Amino acid sequence: MELSKTRQQEQDSNPREKFIMAARRHKILSNKCSRCGHLMLVTVYYCEKCFNHKFAINELEGTGKVVTYTIQAVAPEGFEDAGSYAWVVFRVDGTDFNASGFLPGVTSASDLPLGSRVRVLDYHPKHGLTLQKV
Amino acid sequence: MPNKVCVLGAGSTKYGKLNEGIIEIALKASIDAIDSAGITPKDIQAGYISNVFGVTDRQVHMAPVIMSNLGVPEVPGLTIESACGSGSIMFREAYANVAAGFYDCILGLGVEKITHTGTIQSTTLFSYCSDFFYEGGNGASFPGLFASIARSYMAKYKASEEDLARVAVKNHENGILNPKAHVRKKITIDDVLKSPVVASPLKLYDCCPFSDGASAIILCSEDFAKKSGRPFIEVIGSGRGASPAAVQGRDDITTIPSTVAAANQAYKMAGITAKDIDFAEVHDCFTIAELIDIEDLGFFKKGAGANAVREGATSRDGEIPINPSGGLKSKGHPIGATGIGQVVEVFEQLTGKAEQRTVRDAEVALTHNFGATGASAAVHIFKRVQ
Repeated sequence: MELSKTRQQEQDSNPREKFIMAARRHKILSNKCSRCGHLMLVTVYYCEKCFNHKFAINELEGTGKVVTYTIQAVAPEGFEDAGSYAWVVFRVDGTDFNASGFLPGVTSASDLPLGSRVRVLDYHPKHGLTLQKV
Repeated sequence: MPNKVCVLGAGSTKYGKLNEGIIEIALKASIDAIDSAGITPKDIQAGYISNVFGVTDRQVHMAPVIMSNLGVPEVPGLTIESACGSGSIMFREAYANVAAGFYDCILGLGVEKITHTGTIQSTTLFSYCSDFFYEGGNGASFPGLFASIARSYMAKYKASEEDLARVAVKNHENGILNPKAHVRKKITIDDVLKSPVVASPLKLYDCCPFSDGASAIILCSEDFAKKSGRPFIEVIGSGRGASPAAVQGRDDITTIPSTVAAANQAYKMAGITAKDIDFAEVHDCFTIAELIDIEDLGFFKKGAGANAVREGATSRDGEIPINPSGGLKSKGHPIGATGIGQVVEVFEQLTGKAEQRTVRDAEVALTHNFGATGASAAVHIFKRVQ
């Protein structure tokens, strides 16, 4: 089957670009080690368990549970216009690894109990991996 | 066996918002250290410098500038950058070169100038020390990263915001006695809890200040130190460790693997355990960091740090005094200088120059300093030489 131009670009890109393009499709891109089967984020170049360099791309639903987070009151440059937001670490469903991202609209801890579910919404040019509560 | 390595002299500027440029403050601390050691620049065989944001004060490649201004342009030097851990990691490299016999006498200088950039730009610059693709680039500042660590710790060990605040109160009590500290102000738990939120659950008084400052030491061989006839201290343990760069990459967010690894190496080399340490200068960039440090360094069991602070065990007259200098929290955190500033404090304590903040009967002391959220760390152990 012929790949779309966008998907072809994604295949030809470097790991970080691949990660970004997948996030725009609401996915988290991971690598599965061809030797030991260990699953890790696509941006890691060698298997963390056996140091093999060959992987099969494994596209995951960009969903998970909040492991920890902060609500940034003093934001760095580029986030001044982001309103009240959280920076969130979440455990990606079906894996034993975490990812982290920007979750707008969080104003207090009651908005986001640990264990809340989030999903990847987009990869924003200024705010990076953007999440939403599920 | 490595050669014995000693600290023969130490000097420091005041930490805080300084008006002079980066080279002026660097030279001031260097000259203080040279005078303290009773040597001249001609005795220095290499200049090791730690700095992160010199570019903001229009100076990188600092070593030749420093050595030229000390009148010894022929002395080789280098600059080491490891974020907030730059000073201790530079110290480790200088230590290794003296231990290996390449040099007998090194100037170790840590320096930072950052306050001129303002709070928002400083916050942004510091975020470049994170794993930016996953952290700074998604909106996490350094207070934010440590706040996320704090939330994990508080959930796992049932610690409270008051427990964090007690660390700040204790370190400010110590810092009041340090004439070179950035924030010499007594604070209460209530002051901390009512201070503005920076990144929840951390508030302004949970955070160290952005500081300018420079600290310098003279590191030398045992023979060199003995010939000087001056008081000196010996480095008896040195360890380095590393952790996943991003917080998301850690199996347990409530511990810093680089600290544990560096401490284990340093204790093993010194042939002692945490119980043998009389006081420690640890990396309290945020109150939560000190709680985690004192557990990871083996002074208390995991989860017991908050209770230890509550019971006064880490106060200057407690079981294991932590940060008698005031720590990063009160003394300040000029990030390129901090690790060397800790060694300056240990030198002054163990050679009887710490005045009002002296830890009584201290013989053995530990320094612990890390970069970013602990992606890199170094631990050193020192003993008084009679």
